[in-house]
Amino acid sequence: MKKKILVVEDEEGLRLLYEEELESEGYEVLTARNGKEAIQQLEQGRPDLIILDIVMPVMDGMETLGRIVGKDRKIPIILNSSYPGYRQDFMSWAADAYVTKSTDLGELKDKIRKLLEKGKAQ
Amino acid sequence: MKNVLAMILAGGRGERLYPLTRDRAKPAVCFGAIYRIIDFTLSNCLNSDIRRIYLLTQYKSTSLHRHIQLGWNILSAPLGELIGVIPAQQRIDEHWYQGTADAIFQNIYTLQQEMPDLVLILSGDHIYKMDYRKMIAFHLEKGANLTIAAIRMDRTLSREFGVIEVDRDWQIGGFQEKPEEPKTIPGDPEGILASMGIYVFNTEILVRRLIEDARSDSTHDFGKDIIPMMIGMDRVFALDFRQADREGVEYWRDVGTIDAYFEANMDLVSVTPQLNLYDPQWPILTYQSPNPPAKTVWAEEGRMGTALNSIISNGCIISGGSVMRSILSPRVMVHSYAEIEDSILFEGVDVGRHAKIRRTIIDKGVKIPEGMEIGYDLEEDAKRFTVTPSGIVVVPRWIRL
Repeated sequence: MKKKILVVEDEEGLRLLYEEELESEGYEVLTARNGKEAIQQLEQGRPDLIILDIVMPVMDGMETLGRIVGKDRKIPIILNSSYPGYRQDFMSWAADAYVTKSTDLGELKDKIRKLLEKGKAQ
Repeated sequence: MKNVLAMILAGGRGERLYPLTRDRAKPAVCFGAIYRIIDFTLSNCLNSDIRRIYLLTQYKSTSLHRHIQLGWNILSAPLGELIGVIPAQQRIDEHWYQGTADAIFQNIYTLQQEMPDLVLILSGDHIYKMDYRKMIAFHLEKGANLTIAAIRMDRTLSREFGVIEVDRDWQIGGFQEKPEEPKTIPGDPEGILASMGIYVFNTEILVRRLIEDARSDSTHDFGKDIIPMMIGMDRVFALDFRQADREGVEYWRDVGTIDAYFEANMDLVSVTPQLNLYDPQWPILTYQSPNPPAKTVWAEEGRMGTALNSIISNGCIISGGSVMRSILSPRVMVHSYAEIEDSILFEGVDVGRHAKIRRTIIDKGVKIPEGMEIGYDLEEDAKRFTVTPSGIVVVPRWIRL
């Protein structure tokens, strides 16, 4: 069974990039354009991991993070932002990982792999 | 103390105090004629020089909000002081608070905004006088991440408390929540160290542990989940209440039941109560509406307005009736030939002529008709009122007699 990853990202170009890159890694990729869409997606079914942008219209990533944790405490979440400053926000500590956006997706892919493995171990 | 933020958990339902908690949260229940239970914790804060305080409310909070608004609007915002009331607002998720730890976690944004070095977590349910400065000094001196205030209790009460195990340095090595077989104090086989639900946390550690707890299967309670998780992982210490006890008699009451509530009130009419309300260095503040002074009238044979061994608040008129060993809140009216003994009458109660009241708590504004007897025939009383195991009658608010 392919692992399902939900990518929450408002920039269309990035969304397509993540979709393509992660599918080629063998994951099934779902996408949402903002936090509100992400929460609607969660009602349809549970992904194995969520990649969450922070600065988004409609509902930002930090608020979405709280909502997701309130609904499903265990789902692994990676905050993925161009701004490292959000690490100071207490709420960001509720994410399993924090990745600063870069053209090289190596770190992100690495974190995904580790979190999914950790999930399997439990 | 400017780097300390107090968060008071004031959402307790106080179910065992029903019907006194029918219309109000437990912290808003009247105590000692003119106070509300919350006044003791808030006064402790101010007397300890802690002036940044948030109250977290939840159930039946209107009465509490009103009291805070009227009586506690006394700090100076420009000096960075405040008493803020935060109702449960579902900021993070769509539930009401699931446990004491969840109540703080749901208000993580307030911690972020205030950025204190230390967070003092208190309960709004208890009556005691404590200098929190001494607890904070102990916390800093020990280099603790969490300090819990502890009081000696009889081991037979272990099922009501979180029981703490300490080493010689008062570092906590074990914590059992409401155990049947408690670990007793070394050298004191009849005593246990009970958690008073008073915590000092380093802010960052608090936030990290709350988040870990929020992301796991847990009841989200400090006693059941957070403290056991932290022991062995962080530096957790107990503060002996005697080190910070203003009274020096280890007075700390939960007043969780009507009987305990009644006894704690009745202590106040004794000659030297355990709880001293007359300490000018440790004033207990509250809200009092402007009322004229208390008054007694009539002094003729068989019709004497008297009050003995009692607390009589402003606005009361004892008009030809007698009051003995009782506590009268403001604006209580006792009419001629009425007799009141060992009772607690809340604000605005009116006792008609020839009525006889004994061992009864009468809630706010109730009018007792002429000639009615309460507390003399408990079987009869139980048909209309709550009667406790020890025979205290409670006449609820809004009742029409």
